[in-house]
Amino acid sequence: MTPVLQVDGYTLDYATRAGAVHVLDDVSLAIAKGEVLGLVGESGSGKTSLAWAITRALPGNAHEAQGTICLSGEDLRGVSTTRLAAIRGRHIGMVFQDPSTSLNPTLTLGRQVGEVLQRHRGLTRAQAEQETIALLRHVELRDPEALLHRYPHEASGGEKQRVVIATAFACRPELIIFDEPTTALDVITGARILDLFQRLRAETHVAALYISHDLALVSRVADRVAVLERGRIVEEARATDVFRAPTHPYTRRLVQAVPRPDRRLVFDTPQETTVLSGRGLGVRYGRARLFGRTHVTGASGISLDVRAGEILGVVGESGSGKSTLARALTGLAPFQGEITFRGRTIAAPRAMDRAYRGAVQIVFQHPDSSLNPRHRIGETLSRPLRLFGAQDKVADLLEQVRLPASYADRYPHQLSGGEKQRVAIARAFAARPALVICDEITAALDVSVQAAVIELLLTLRQLHGTAYLFITHDINLVRQIAHRLAVMRHGALVDLLPIEALSGPDTHPYTRALLAASPTPVGLEGIT
Amino acid sequence: MIELFRRLLRTRQGAIAIILLLVIVIACVAGPFVAPHDPDAISFLGRFHPPDAQYWLGADELGRDVFSRLLIGAGRTVPIALMATLLGTLSGAVIGTLSAYLGGRWDEAIMRTIDAVMAIPGLLLALLIVNTLGKGEFNAMMAIAVAFVPGMARITRSVALVARRQDYVGAAIARGESSAWIVLREMLPNVAAPVVIETTIRVAFAVMLFATLSFLGLGAQPPASDWGLMVADGRRYLHQAPWMIIGAGVAIALTAISFNLLGDGLRDALNPRDER
Repeated sequence: MTPVLQVDGYTLDYATRAGAVHVLDDVSLAIAKGEVLGLVGESGSGKTSLAWAITRALPGNAHEAQGTICLSGEDLRGVSTTRLAAIRGRHIGMVFQDPSTSLNPTLTLGRQVGEVLQRHRGLTRAQAEQETIALLRHVELRDPEALLHRYPHEASGGEKQRVVIATAFACRPELIIFDEPTTALDVITGARILDLFQRLRAETHVAALYISHDLALVSRVADRVAVLERGRIVEEARATDVFRAPTHPYTRRLVQAVPRPDRRLVFDTPQETTVLSGRGLGVRYGRARLFGRTHVTGASGISLDVRAGEILGVVGESGSGKSTLARALTGLAPFQGEITFRGRTIAAPRAMDRAYRGAVQIVFQHPDSSLNPRHRIGETLSRPLRLFGAQDKVADLLEQVRLPASYADRYPHQLSGGEKQRVAIARAFAARPALVICDEITAALDVSVQAAVIELLLTLRQLHGTAYLFITHDINLVRQIAHRLAVMRHGALVDLLPIEALSGPDTHPYTRALLAASPTPVGLEGIT
Repeated sequence: MIELFRRLLRTRQGAIAIILLLVIVIACVAGPFVAPHDPDAISFLGRFHPPDAQYWLGADELGRDVFSRLLIGAGRTVPIALMATLLGTLSGAVIGTLSAYLGGRWDEAIMRTIDAVMAIPGLLLALLIVNTLGKGEFNAMMAIAVAFVPGMARITRSVALVARRQDYVGAAIARGESSAWIVLREMLPNVAAPVVIETTIRVAFAVMLFATLSFLGLGAQPPASDWGLMVADGRRYLHQAPWMIIGAGVAIALTAISFNLLGDGLRDALNPRDER
């Protein structure tokens, strides 16, 4: 039996001004009917380029050096544009990372699903509507009749991704490509989407290519896993074996870097003295207009203490108010309630003086946007030194985060994502802070880089005794390092407990749901 | 900077613009030295002399050489237009960035004022200002600058609103930087690209606006050899000596076109995503 998708010796280059960039190098893989192949790789490894090559949506400067891509025996590289239009949607379905950008915001959800049915299955409008309702019900959406007439912005992220999945499955294609379908969703919604995917694939026996950077996730979803390193497939194995017995050094490194809650990285206990405490903290977002103002509550009634040298983890899904809390503590958002810091009470951002701002530092999620692209690294680092009158030099700061001193002359775009985040950490530590707020600082990084950044943070903490408020959505990661865990939902604190009590009986149901949605990687139970 | 220049030369518009601008700069700097005649020398016999080997672009109603007057005029018209544009766009950019940074009621107040000023057409506003301040080149320059501020402020604000949401601005606020530093050093460099492009396009408008003011008798005063003034003078003798108006008109058009092309070229060269 011929496999649904067969890629043979496929090599792809991009022609850029700096010369040809090799993206894919002699990639070969095959997916049989009903099989799910997971494709894992870090950013820049060529995962998405392969998806584009299969759907024939390559950018204009792509050059396919050699190899074939066959869908059910038909080489896609040679087909005409009209044939291609018939293949896409009908024979190949596609689910993208971010459902809010892959749906057209100006069309109703019903139109977008119905269009596929009308086009590829030749249904009339009325038939398509009936079929759409059936499809939406099939992906476990409540009240599909009402959903038909809603626009994408009127649906939640999870609902939108279900609509996209319904569209991909609408014409019973032979192959569906999933490009990080749960990355943009929060943990619980993502877990439910995965359940849905498992059910649909069992029903339809579709072949799927599941692309992700998350090795732990892929090993749960896929039958086989292919590991892509800089355009080359370095290892292909059964999903259960990848974690247990990785053969290639690169895979081994990836497996090592995956956060595992059972492997603690912090062993000390924090001091009893409180660095900072918040009482009844709340933030209301709203735009002050010339006349009147409107409000949205970002967070309310949050009370917590951070002790000296403590790592306090803050978890919760997107929109739960985690970042709002960080913005209140750093004075970026006007807040209600009060912050007590070293015996002084602060009731408004205006009251934060230089001593407070120096002692409470923040590191943001995206190093791309937190470093000014027009400033050299040296200038970025010298500002806090000058403001807070520290004795260090820029070179010392760079050395602290293990970057060469010569980086001071570089611009942020000349650095990799991990290096940029190190610079942001160096900037935070310039003022010798007592508390550093880490707002999802590893979310944009690859897992091996994440492990290195976490290790750096722990080393710096040992050196300076800094406390961290560690905001993240990755519960496995925070269980490795935090002393206590704060769980947030809808702008309120639902749980605040020591990490040891997490598996105990006194946790909030939501905390338990979060824990259940982020299980330990498969195949890890046996090894150390 | 050099890299930007190289990228600019690679675009067709950019290359043409650079060549044209080079010619204009040479005319501005070297004009008084290479002019074949004294621009103010009156010659009775040379009145309405058509273009030939002696008067390359002909002579005007007083027998003054049009080509020489154009060269001398370049040194006045182009720098004034440039100065007016830079003054106007820079203040507009600072106001727009400040408005985006402050946000809330300040933003509303500043932008509604800007909207009110924008409701008055640029030329009308410039006319009003020159009328109040009095005739003259300097006042015309100021009037053009003021007329450019509202549009520039709006454009800059829209870009600055994006920059305002970037974390580096948050980081600067969180470490207690002054507002002046945040606006001038953190935000302004990052809104520079669209501002620079808009500026080059506006230079062309400034040349034309200044020419219009001079044409209406409110800018440069006779016997100055300003291009706008030359068009105004030539209009009366359009049928007798069309070369008078053609010479000055073509000079204005070429300057406008070259700055427009520079704007187009810069838009492509400053776009970092265009790496192909």
